[in-house]
Amino acid sequence: MRKNSTSFLRIDAGVIGIMWKREMLRYMRDRSQIFGAISRTVLWLVILGYGLGAALREIEGYSYAQYILPGVVTLNILFSALQCAISLVWDREVGLLRSVIISPAPMLSVTLGKLFGGATIATLQGAIPLLLIPFLGLRTSPLALGSALVVMFFMGIALTAFGIIIASRLKTFEGFGAISNGIIQPLYFLSGSIFPLRGVIGGVGFLDIPTHLRDELRQLGIFAIGGGWVVQLPFFIQVLVYINPVSYQLDLLRYVLLNFEQLPLAADLAVTFGLAPVLAVLAAWSIERMLRKRQ
Amino acid sequence: MGAAVVATGVSYRYGDHVAVDDLNLTVENGEFFAILGPNGAGKTTFLNMLMTVTRPQSGRVTIMGHDVVTDTPEVRRALGVVFQDPALDDRLTARENLDIHAVLYALPRKERRNAVDRALSWAELDQVQSRAVRTFSGGMKRRLELARALMHKPSLLLLDEPTMGLDPQGRRHLWERITSLREQGMTVVMSTHNLVEAESCHRVAIIDKGRLIATGAPAALIAELGSSAASLEDVFIALTGKQLFDDSATGRDGMMSFARQGGEFTR
Repeated sequence: MRKNSTSFLRIDAGVIGIMWKREMLRYMRDRSQIFGAISRTVLWLVILGYGLGAALREIEGYSYAQYILPGVVTLNILFSALQCAISLVWDREVGLLRSVIISPAPMLSVTLGKLFGGATIATLQGAIPLLLIPFLGLRTSPLALGSALVVMFFMGIALTAFGIIIASRLKTFEGFGAISNGIIQPLYFLSGSIFPLRGVIGGVGFLDIPTHLRDELRQLGIFAIGGGWVVQLPFFIQVLVYINPVSYQLDLLRYVLLNFEQLPLAADLAVTFGLAPVLAVLAAWSIERMLRKRQ
Repeated sequence: MGAAVVATGVSYRYGDHVAVDDLNLTVENGEFFAILGPNGAGKTTFLNMLMTVTRPQSGRVTIMGHDVVTDTPEVRRALGVVFQDPALDDRLTARENLDIHAVLYALPRKERRNAVDRALSWAELDQVQSRAVRTFSGGMKRRLELARALMHKPSLLLLDEPTMGLDPQGRRHLWERITSLREQGMTVVMSTHNLVEAESCHRVAIIDKGRLIATGAPAALIAELGSSAASLEDVFIALTGKQLFDDSATGRDGMMSFARQGGEFTR
């Protein structure tokens, strides 16, 4: 028994690398996934962003399309990470995973390869909305973009691991619809992605102010001027947003991209960088448990 | 090192259903060994125990002297496995599938490319090595899996219904590849439905309802029953009092017979 557990935990860079490469090859040959990310970007960022943006003139000084940009990035990461994780069920029943399971390769490394693959794909999928930054009137620095990719990768790890924990408990492939509606959407809607926790909405003014003046006002802590509503979410939604870990990850991403945060930055950092390794370990354990309980 | 496979008093049950019932079996090195039995006889459950997927609930199984429960890594290195249904990544090419295997079995980096090349030409798939596996026929997939199972030079090959579901040509082609291993002295344990294949093995174990009914050389088993037995199927009928195949039709059989009758045009 002792021998088994040590071989399970052994880290094998070659195995991690080949499982990562497998995920990447599968991604590159599957156009539908990229199409999904593009269509979500167009739907949410362009259509909703500008459509609803016509009514909600601004949120804390950001146009609505600018405000939801990090949310759309998050949505793409959520879809991609959970899709990658859910492929585990298929792979276990009729795919390559059955031959991986009976190989001498350490399962922790197999899981890590899958996780890193899922996180890399999630980062690439999440980067698609970022291509629209120049058209949204946002100015970002290479440093901000680089930090955003790091945050996105950690989100990808945490969410792929979360998906693996769920997928390893699924018996059939039919649960996928439920996953998409019952998990992705609540995590997305309750993360402050499309409406702020609190803040000044609407109004006229800030967007019309020349850029250099806007920057100066921001440095003074003034994010919006002009007429508008001060919005505070109902208490129960606030609670749901506060317990949703995606809120903190998204808030960090928004801080990095827009220099605007709604939650304590320390909490954002702790959740984003603390959750990923914890969930990764739990995911590896879930896969091991799934294999052990198989029959 | 001991015998290739030693199973002593092995049992496994799913709830009330006894899949494998106190099975005792030895396979010697260099043997071609067939496990014959109807659907649901416990063949796959038994093979799953040999390949360390299922743990025996009682009894003990050793492969090349290594216990499947306590020495799992050694057992896994010693085994080459071909599953009943393809266990390939459909979206990857033949070469990429073999590359993964080379890494999982920790083949030395310098030898990987050679091993993959050799496997591809052994499976006669070098012409199509860059095509996605999902474009392959059933026979091509099975040959690829067989070549993959041999890449790390296993000392025991486990084949679960290797030729099931293949067309006659694919079946013949694959069987040629399998018999070529016999000349090289490979130890092979296969579960099968196919009498011709079973009769060409060194020894056969006949299993029904999880119990071992008879083992021995096919010719000896047939001879034991005297002149009335002409094939292993007759042996099976004589021992169990029922047909080997028509025990219960699977969903696929039903669909196939429906298609033979003219399918939807008959309605």
